[in-house]
Amino acid sequence: MLAVNDLEVHYQELRALRGVSLEVTQADLVALIGSNGAGKTTLLNTISGLIPAVKGQVSWRGNSILGFSADAICQEGIIQVPEGRKLFSKMTVGENLEMGAYLPTARAYIAENLQMVFDIFPRLAERRKQLAGSLSGGEQQMVAVARAIMARPQLLMLDEPSLGLAPVMAADIFQVVEDLNQRGITILLISQEVLHTLTIATYAYVLENGKVTLDGTAQHLLDDPRIKESYLGL
Amino acid sequence: MGSVYALLGIGFSLSWGVMKVINISHAAFGLIAAFLAYTLLQAWGLDPILSIAVSVPLLFFAACFIYRFLITPITQAKEVIVSSMILTFGIAIILENLMLLIWSPDPRVLTTSYTSKVIIVGPFYFQYPRLAGFLMASMGVGIIQFFLKLTYTGKAVRAAWQQPDAAQLYGVNLKRISMITFGLAVASAGAGGVCMAYLYSFEPHTHSLWLIYLFLVVIVGGVGNVLGAASAGLIIGVITGLSLAFLPYQWVNLLTFGLLMIILILRPQGLFQSEV
Repeated sequence: MLAVNDLEVHYQELRALRGVSLEVTQADLVALIGSNGAGKTTLLNTISGLIPAVKGQVSWRGNSILGFSADAICQEGIIQVPEGRKLFSKMTVGENLEMGAYLPTARAYIAENLQMVFDIFPRLAERRKQLAGSLSGGEQQMVAVARAIMARPQLLMLDEPSLGLAPVMAADIFQVVEDLNQRGITILLISQEVLHTLTIATYAYVLENGKVTLDGTAQHLLDDPRIKESYLGL
Repeated sequence: MGSVYALLGIGFSLSWGVMKVINISHAAFGLIAAFLAYTLLQAWGLDPILSIAVSVPLLFFAACFIYRFLITPITQAKEVIVSSMILTFGIAIILENLMLLIWSPDPRVLTTSYTSKVIIVGPFYFQYPRLAGFLMASMGVGIIQFFLKLTYTGKAVRAAWQQPDAAQLYGVNLKRISMITFGLAVASAGAGGVCMAYLYSFEPHTHSLWLIYLFLVVIVGGVGNVLGAASAGLIIGVITGLSLAFLPYQWVNLLTFGLLMIILILRPQGLFQSEV
């Protein structure tokens, strides 16, 4: 479905990605793990069209999408929940959700999708008229995920959705991610909560210093001694 | 009078806030609309209010064109604010000289059949042109507010200003939205310019005086804040109006800009919380 091939991205003087290849198959929940500064966010932003690549390929359903603008990528059904949520904080929760469905293709299903979002996050229905910036961290993360659902993603990419949340809240978000995957949405999940991520993922890649150093089924990686040592502290 | 400053200032504030473009030529565009109103009135007796139907669309398309071909290239620059000021300063000079060529440097006034009429309501009396200016300006502010709060494109403008990256991730075409914002900003300047022309005489370089008031509106109201700009316009209108009533004319600007300095020292972010 999504194939990244030998991707190289420079961030100012830095070579942030050095020949990264990765593949996401339809209906999969693929995890991307790695420490801070490994290039995970850069990878997502390149796929999303926010950062240009120096070389390599990104193809989507067999067609190259490298060089597309971010709004064109969104049009393709590749939706990102950015790191740090990036909500429209001076707009209401309802307006944030509407912005998720900004493109005409998504706008046609706005009522139906709102219903689904409020089923998943009943609390957002109560907060609908509140400014997004006035919500708690956990609620803001719900808005960020909900906004992405409004865009009718075929591939949903989440960048550290549990960062800075209380453990209970984080577990809820992981639960939602798993549910969305079961509803048929393909998922690419970045997270530093390796144990939790690997238990819900089907396949995983480990990114270190801009390179994929390890990949395999999630179960396989959980048993890998290197993962146990570097990421799980076992 | 304050509402007219507000209408003139809102577009200026928007393009500053949303696109980091300080449009020095903003008032010059407004002045062109004023001159157009004058010509249409002289030639065909067209009411200045109706002339807006001509000048606003005209300015909108002119501004979109200018944005696309002149401003888009500099949005890649590191210092968009500074480069945009220099660029639009140039545009303002061109426009001013264009106006000099077409309309000559003589001061003009919009004289309509109702210029000297007044309406008396209890102890107050309102001059017709002022009333027309006020109503038109309030309507203009209302329309812009409606656009920003209730239309999809308007919401996209606000979203793009708050989180440009996230807005793009959800399908907002930043270049297109910026162009439309710039077009609307300049078009609103046109409406504001006609309203100004109802109140004061004007000549091709009057726009530099208007420009100072634009800065005043933005600084008092907060950058990019529509309601702030509207309130700031009213405050400034009331202050100049009241001081004119009690003080000699020379004192008015001194007082107004004294106020500006005090605000800059005490509340550099503007009197109002930015909320767009």
